[in-house]
Amino acid sequence: MTTHRLLARQIRQSTDESGQVDLTRLGELVGAAYEESDRDRRRTDRAIKLMIEELEQTHKRAEQDSLRAREFLDGIIENIPIAVFAKDAKDSRYVLLNRAGEEYYGIPREEMLGKTPEQIFPRDIARAVSEQDRRVVDSGTPMFLEGHLLEVGVNGHGRLVNSRKLLVRDGNGAPQYLVGVIEDVTERITNEARISHLAHHDALTDLPNRSAFNAALDERLVRAQEASTSFAVLSLDLDRFKEVNDVFGHPVGDMLMRAAADRLAAEADGAFVARIGGDEFMILMPNDIRREEALALAERLVEVIGKELEVDDYLSQVGVSVGIAVYPDDGVDAVTLLANADSALYRAKREGRGRVCFFESEMDQELRDRRLLQHDLRQALEQNQLLVYFQPQARMNGEVIGFEALLRWNHPTRGFVPPDQFIPLAEENGLIIQIGEWVLREACREAASWPRPLQVAVNLSPVQFQAGDLERSIHQILLETGLAPTRLEVEITEGVLIGDFTRALNLLRRLKALGIRIAMDDFGTGYSSLSYLQSFPFDKIKIDRSFISNLEATPQAAEIVRAVLSLAHALNIPVVAEGVETEAQRAFLEREACEEMQGYLIGRPDLIERYLDLIGVAVERRLYA
Amino acid sequence: MHIQYLHWNAAHGWCGANALREPAQLVLYFGSREGLTGGERYRELRGLYPDSHIVGCSTGGQIHGDDIADEEIVAVALRFAHTKVRLVQETIESRDASRLCGVRLARQVAAPDLAGVFVLSDGLNMNGNALIAGITEVLGPDLLVTGGLAGDGTRLEQTLVGADGEPSSNRVAAIGFYGTSFRIAHGCAAGWDVFGPRRKVTKSDGPVVVELDGEPPLDLYTRYLGEEEAAAMPGSGLAFPLRIHDEAEPDRQIVRSVFAVDRSAGTLTFAADIPEGCTAQLMRANFDSLAAGAGEAGRQARDALADGIVGDKLAILVSCTGRRKVMGQRTQDELDAVAAELGDDVVRIGFYSYGEIAPPAASGRCELHNQTMTVTMIAEAAA
Repeated sequence: MTTHRLLARQIRQSTDESGQVDLTRLGELVGAAYEESDRDRRRTDRAIKLMIEELEQTHKRAEQDSLRAREFLDGIIENIPIAVFAKDAKDSRYVLLNRAGEEYYGIPREEMLGKTPEQIFPRDIARAVSEQDRRVVDSGTPMFLEGHLLEVGVNGHGRLVNSRKLLVRDGNGAPQYLVGVIEDVTERITNEARISHLAHHDALTDLPNRSAFNAALDERLVRAQEASTSFAVLSLDLDRFKEVNDVFGHPVGDMLMRAAADRLAAEADGAFVARIGGDEFMILMPNDIRREEALALAERLVEVIGKELEVDDYLSQVGVSVGIAVYPDDGVDAVTLLANADSALYRAKREGRGRVCFFESEMDQELRDRRLLQHDLRQALEQNQLLVYFQPQARMNGEVIGFEALLRWNHPTRGFVPPDQFIPLAEENGLIIQIGEWVLREACREAASWPRPLQVAVNLSPVQFQAGDLERSIHQILLETGLAPTRLEVEITEGVLIGDFTRALNLLRRLKALGIRIAMDDFGTGYSSLSYLQSFPFDKIKIDRSFISNLEATPQAAEIVRAVLSLAHALNIPVVAEGVETEAQRAFLEREACEEMQGYLIGRPDLIERYLDLIGVAVERRLYA
Repeated sequence: MHIQYLHWNAAHGWCGANALREPAQLVLYFGSREGLTGGERYRELRGLYPDSHIVGCSTGGQIHGDDIADEEIVAVALRFAHTKVRLVQETIESRDASRLCGVRLARQVAAPDLAGVFVLSDGLNMNGNALIAGITEVLGPDLLVTGGLAGDGTRLEQTLVGADGEPSSNRVAAIGFYGTSFRIAHGCAAGWDVFGPRRKVTKSDGPVVVELDGEPPLDLYTRYLGEEEAAAMPGSGLAFPLRIHDEAEPDRQIVRSVFAVDRSAGTLTFAADIPEGCTAQLMRANFDSLAAGAGEAGRQARDALADGIVGDKLAILVSCTGRRKVMGQRTQDELDAVAAELGDDVVRIGFYSYGEIAPPAASGRCELHNQTMTVTMIAEAAA
């Protein structure tokens, strides 16, 4: 028998030098050891008991936490507006369905939970659903279907959904659940389609818009470069569309635009037609087209658009001008092709609308010059390059009764730019409003300084009538300069009346009411509609210079002048003859009882300093004052 | 190296055998607080070894050979053939100055041929972790530093350290060993197991744990110890150290013992800082696992000691008072386990401490431990 190591030690500790065992001491040691063991056992027992209690508490707390987390997640799942379901991975029995799911399927969850698709859905649908389930379970990879029709459920018909199914495995990696999510994306998909359509189409005509055209052109360029083919780009601009808009209003204008677009699209027959803004269209013609074919199409379009359109009980007529550029002859990149088609269009319009022009290289230069001039014109006003010249107007006996103020542009390098070059440019970009106001102010200020109360005539552009507050601006200038309204005469062309007739007429009436005189300029050219003379009491009619200069050359000119004079006299409107350069012309006009004249015979347009004597300023006084 | 072992008891005074042929360079001694208080024993030793450095501390039990003595004072006198010895000391002004104290000690002891350091420190007023951080900051991580914090039985009231003077509180001493012949090796192991749920240190202030899982930590210890044993806190709390797990250093295993208790606040003070937010788990041990742990420490030290040793070999055993608290009379078993690993040719001396200083087995970085057996072996190789 082996003595326990501790007991042996205790005996040794209780044995004295003579080998005598002290039993009392031994008893104490053994007793203490028992006590230590008991204490350790008690401590251990206690620790084990407490540990179990604590672990139970911890477990309970963890369970409560997990229950709360579950309730929290359940609350979310129940209330999200996306259908969520879970099925047993083995037999596809539904084990969870949220509220949105009930709505999608149109079936209360009590009727779905615990059942297989076969017990719930029609046979063919159930088979499809089960097949999907098997695929996900067998492969273990999630299924994701985008924007498909919901195949089941009463409320789901016709709805587009994104659906996904994924497999959830248990702790051992075996398939446990199939979790499915069905999201209704019907609105999103239709919205996306609509937005995408809107992004590439013009809202009014539903034709492709500028960005769609650019994309198509880029694509066409790539293809044409690869295949070495050619194609044509047509740039179109509706003629007189703005007038329709002005006369009949925007609703009619819109209808007309739609009708014109429809005609273009129908006639273009397979070509790519885009509306790129306002009344501008572009057409991209198919590959390998010959110039003659492009021309034929363009002419057909001119003809078709030119036919009367009946819109909302209005009969209306617009025209179209077409510019054509051909790849690769007229440009090999989009920017050049478009710019050249535009130059051709510009030429077509300038040649008299309803025309078709191919691009020619000099147009390019012309267009560049035009842009440069337009650019310079913006600076002209700021840099005091504009001047007002005055040309005297006189009775037939030579007595000067007033001056016409005429705008001149003295360009620092180009010299004097002809007004018929730069005024249309100013009208195009709207600068004419500022310039016109400046001329008016200069002319009035000048006239107000004259000792003799002579008339001053100022030309107004149609653009000034259409935009801005012309009446207020004239009123303001008269107040500013102190010129009596009766000394101011404004000259308008019939272009002023062509746009918004009623508005223009009202404006003229109000100006006349201020005491300002209104003259009809360039009479005899353009439409010279007599109805204008009827509708407004003009103070003066100015016969266009072309008739006067032809007086001696053609008998018709004399007849026309005679007719205008007799018409004006019948209406009691005085007449000014423009461009009178010879005594013979003056004598003829005097014979025919023309009231006034203007022309080199009386004096050229010039700085007012040239006419100081006529306005009553002594030269010395003026120079040294 | 030559070792003279000697001991003192009330009946016979100082007794020693195998007197050294040359004067000792260093005398190490360990005794109970009562035994050392007053400085009588130190003065006697000084009489015996007038020219030696004499270093000692109070303990939770003295180890000599296979025995634990509470009444006797144990000592060794050492004479090295080639190794030089230097003794430095500092007074701890406040717990907060612990790191600075370590830095100062290390600066005094530092030298190019420094080969090892053994530290004895006040066990209650020193932040042992900070002290070690200060020392390694100066000496670097590669120099082996071992030692222990002085003890006071399980009373945790006052600890003493003496360094060429009467033992007193608030003292820390470091012995530097110099020269290429000096050999030092160590082992450090515990044998405790975690049990029960992981708890969160929800509130702490330095070494004071204010809340564990939102409740005062004293309540937890009272539950586990029972009312009767809880009355003997903090001493009885040594039976349940805490394993601290800091997310910032997941591989580091830190064991902390209770050092003080505030019964009104319900808070416990541990041997070193316990960061707020870390995880704590109670630990316990049985006699066998603790003995096995001690044996492991012995084996590590033995394996680490190089060959070619000439002369005697000394093993300084620093074991935790908490271990003795748990093991009672079985404490002898852990000394037996160390002895079995070290062999008969190693002189063993040591003490039960309030903290052990040594690098743990896993990392090389010196740290303060609780609840371990730490074995430091010193010897000399041929010149």
